[in-house]
Amino acid sequence: MTQIILSTGNVMSAGPTIIRKRGTNRSNLELVNSLQSSFVSAKEDFAPATNGSTHAPTPVEAWTERQDGTLFVPRISWQGAGLRDEASQYEITVKLFFLRDTLVKEREQFARDALELVRKELGIQSIDLLVVAFPGISFEGDCEWEADRVNAAQGNLDDEVATWKVLEEFHSQGLVKKLGVSEFGSEKLGAFMERTTVRPTVDQINLHNCCNVPPPLKALAEKYDIQLNVHTDSTDILPCGTLREILGPQGAGVLADSPTGSNGLKGEITPYWVVRYMAFVQDRGVIENKGYFASSGWDEKP
Amino acid sequence: MGLLALGTPLDWPEAEKRAHQVREWGIKQLLEIWNKAKGKQRDALLWGDEVEYLVVTYDKDDEKVLLSLRQAEILTALASDQELAEAGGCTDDTIDDTTKGKTDKPIPVFHPEFGRFMLEATPGKPWGIGFKELLDVEPDMKLRRKIAKEHMLSTEYPITLTTFPRIGSPGQFTFPYYPTGGPKLRSQFVPDEIANPHIRFPTLAANIRSRRGRKVQVNVPIFHDVNTPKPWKDPTVNYDLHQWPEDDDVRNGAAPDEYIHMDAMAFGMGSCCLQITFQAKSITEGRQLYDQLSPLGPIMLALTAATPVYKGFLANTDVRWNQISRAVDCRTPEELGEKPLKHNRWRIPKSRYASNSTYISNDPRLRKEYLDPDLVIDPAIKDKLTEGGMDDRLATHFAHLFIRDPIVIFEEDLQELDMTKTDHFENIQSTNWQHMRFKPPPAGSDIGWRVEFRPMEIQITDFENAAFSVFMVLVTRAILSFDLNFYIPIKKVDENMERAHEVDAVLKTKFYFRKSPFPVRPSRANTAAPDDSRPGSAMASRPASPGPVEEEYAEMTVNEIINGSCDSDFPGLIPIVESYLDSVNVDVQTRCELSTYLELIGKRASGELDTASRWIRNFINSHPDYKHDSVVDEKVNHDLIGAVIAVGERESAGRNFAGLGIPGLPQLLGNFRGGCGDEAGRRQANGLSNGQSNGHHNGNGSPTLKRKNEFEQGNTENGKR
Repeated sequence: MTQIILSTGNVMSAGPTIIRKRGTNRSNLELVNSLQSSFVSAKEDFAPATNGSTHAPTPVEAWTERQDGTLFVPRISWQGAGLRDEASQYEITVKLFFLRDTLVKEREQFARDALELVRKELGIQSIDLLVVAFPGISFEGDCEWEADRVNAAQGNLDDEVATWKVLEEFHSQGLVKKLGVSEFGSEKLGAFMERTTVRPTVDQINLHNCCNVPPPLKALAEKYDIQLNVHTDSTDILPCGTLREILGPQGAGVLADSPTGSNGLKGEITPYWVVRYMAFVQDRGVIENKGYFASSGWDEKP
Repeated sequence: MGLLALGTPLDWPEAEKRAHQVREWGIKQLLEIWNKAKGKQRDALLWGDEVEYLVVTYDKDDEKVLLSLRQAEILTALASDQELAEAGGCTDDTIDDTTKGKTDKPIPVFHPEFGRFMLEATPGKPWGIGFKELLDVEPDMKLRRKIAKEHMLSTEYPITLTTFPRIGSPGQFTFPYYPTGGPKLRSQFVPDEIANPHIRFPTLAANIRSRRGRKVQVNVPIFHDVNTPKPWKDPTVNYDLHQWPEDDDVRNGAAPDEYIHMDAMAFGMGSCCLQITFQAKSITEGRQLYDQLSPLGPIMLALTAATPVYKGFLANTDVRWNQISRAVDCRTPEELGEKPLKHNRWRIPKSRYASNSTYISNDPRLRKEYLDPDLVIDPAIKDKLTEGGMDDRLATHFAHLFIRDPIVIFEEDLQELDMTKTDHFENIQSTNWQHMRFKPPPAGSDIGWRVEFRPMEIQITDFENAAFSVFMVLVTRAILSFDLNFYIPIKKVDENMERAHEVDAVLKTKFYFRKSPFPVRPSRANTAAPDDSRPGSAMASRPASPGPVEEEYAEMTVNEIINGSCDSDFPGLIPIVESYLDSVNVDVQTRCELSTYLELIGKRASGELDTASRWIRNFINSHPDYKHDSVVDEKVNHDLIGAVIAVGERESAGRNFAGLGIPGLPQLLGNFRGGCGDEAGRRQANGLSNGQSNGHHNGNGSPTLKRKNEFEQGNTENGKR
């Protein structure tokens, strides 16, 4: 199985693609748009030299790169990676999205791969806050009691606890200073904490009206000193269809439009994970770098 | 502090002779600080707000509302309060650094201002950028008002209107009463005692008048209502005075038809405003912020409009800016272009209080077309600065500021040049009242390079003042994070500043604004060198071949600029700020509170809520005693001030605004902070109903800054509006 690594580079300078449209609440537009614009600019930059008149399409091999069983879309030049100032100036937040239909036993490897890329990209050793998003959970906070009840039945607590053990290990190794979860209601959070050693310090929730935090969740968060943070991420950040679309003939032009199509590389793809990193200059309130990596399995067909 | 320095001020003809020396020494001091501080890197964001108050005496049963001239007594009462002293002190003279530095939340600090009826208050220490800390601003502002009120007479109130509607009206408008026509101002409308008696202020006013060769002419177009005579002649102007030579001014056409005529500095410098100062990471970031905030100035001026009345008449303008500009306009007839240049060196297109005339950053995105080719500078001063190592653009900025004469010079300061001080530099710098100010670090301090955003008008409630302050802070963070580009030709910023004066400019006027604020993506090809930053690492880059400058900007409404619109490329400042907030770690409660501020600003921009100016106009219009003749008489003024006081009292008690029966109030404050009661069901929807601090506070870890007032004011001396 080949792995595909998609990357956005720093989206802070990507312009309008990452500015929120008013009225939207959750979305994955930032990821999708910035991947697309990352592909477009890589194609421009690696376009074959012309006399200025013709615009031949940039060959896939020119702007992507294959390395040890991994296809980088676009290719990444690591020599310029890193932050402008020393690491101590920054608060580094990473959010790791495990996607649906992936095996729990693979999550440890996924997490290692994702964090390795982030550390390489930012030129840092440790991450201040790692928030994990498990598939299949969403906390819809408008109707408080109902939301908590529905939320409690979502996801798979055993799987989540098993995955958390891996993250606790990162924590004990000093790779990650603090851990967080997202979309956990009070029941789920309470049950989760009973079975974990390193407790989450953050729970990211999405509320239509952010003033109405359900009282049980608020009480639990206060009791255990868990910060309830706001997020606007989609609960299904990179569905398979979306990934095929952005890699396909209408998008990046890397993959064929179907697993057996002839207008690009063939084979099934399975999104594994998405990771978002953000380097925040703490005492200046400036976001210096923010971006995404996404990984997908590719069952390559000749 | 320069303010307290005592000495012998030189009268005008004498001061003029020494102006050159002040400039020369000022430039030496500037080069000294610049050399010392140009290498400063990594200063934290610290910022401060300044809120100014009018002090009025008000009695519900007495029609006469007066400006209280008891500034000095109130400051003395504040200074001698034992409890406040133990908390670290709250006036410039009584601050105890050892105590103040230790407290986590030092108490606010009060300062005198030009008007003897004014007070200024700043937080006890600068704010940082902890998002929760931004929520401390509003309670701190409320605390300032409370402390101020506690040290006044029971009939005195600190209010945040930009101007007192009947300042300069015939009869008594101050307490105590003083006759008009004093030797310093020579005004037929206001007494000399209207100004702070500290020798600096009367000297400033008198020397501006002397330099001009006549009194200042603050003429504001009258608003024509249905019963307003046409043509309208200011009925309060006396053409028969013969006490001072300047009494001739009105006989020589100083008071044209259709204009409310005012003749003294107090009409401008007696206005209150809301100013924000930001400390930048480095000189480079400071210059970038200065430039990027410049085009926002007129927009924020229009959006905060609060000044529809002057001298008892409704004006046909909505903001204070040009009145202050004219109130301190020291230009001679030669400089104004009325006479051929003989004695003076150049013609000067703008007052020393005006919108900025140049950009100062070395940002590659700053195209030469944005600059004013006719910018007046002192070439000899520019040469000195460039010889001292300063780059051309920054040298140009200071050589522009230094075309002005110093107005107030103390004899004693001219005996020896003290290079450990910046007094001569500040003498010129702090009497250039442009809408942005670039502030070098004060001598002998750890404070960094700062940028002051000066155009906003003060708002009636602390909720609104906190909202606009916090909004501007978030805008600066978004500018730096997204590397935004708001450049338009500086002349268009000037034009916008004029447009911001129009009545209801916030809704009716279009402003030049850049269509796309986003950086152009740097190409990998240009960043191939290994030590270069990578594509997308937010490094400024210049597009290969920029198109015509005229295509970069368009005319937009304030609503389009603030809220964005589907039809324009510009996404809107609020969506940009929201996108910034979406990217950072912020807790639910804090985000909610910040959203409340953004919501207020969004509603003001869309017209869903009124500006203070519109509210005042509607209030007057609906008053039974108003005769629709543009006259704001004592009864109307009384009830307007009474309404403002009532709103303030509710706010400071943490109560909503229901049941006050104030016309138009729901259109001003909507459902915010408990609302006005007409839509009771939605009261809780807008966050904390009482605006109390919710107890969280994170110190910003900035021990380097000792004093708030030093930080904000640098070494300014001569009043700061």
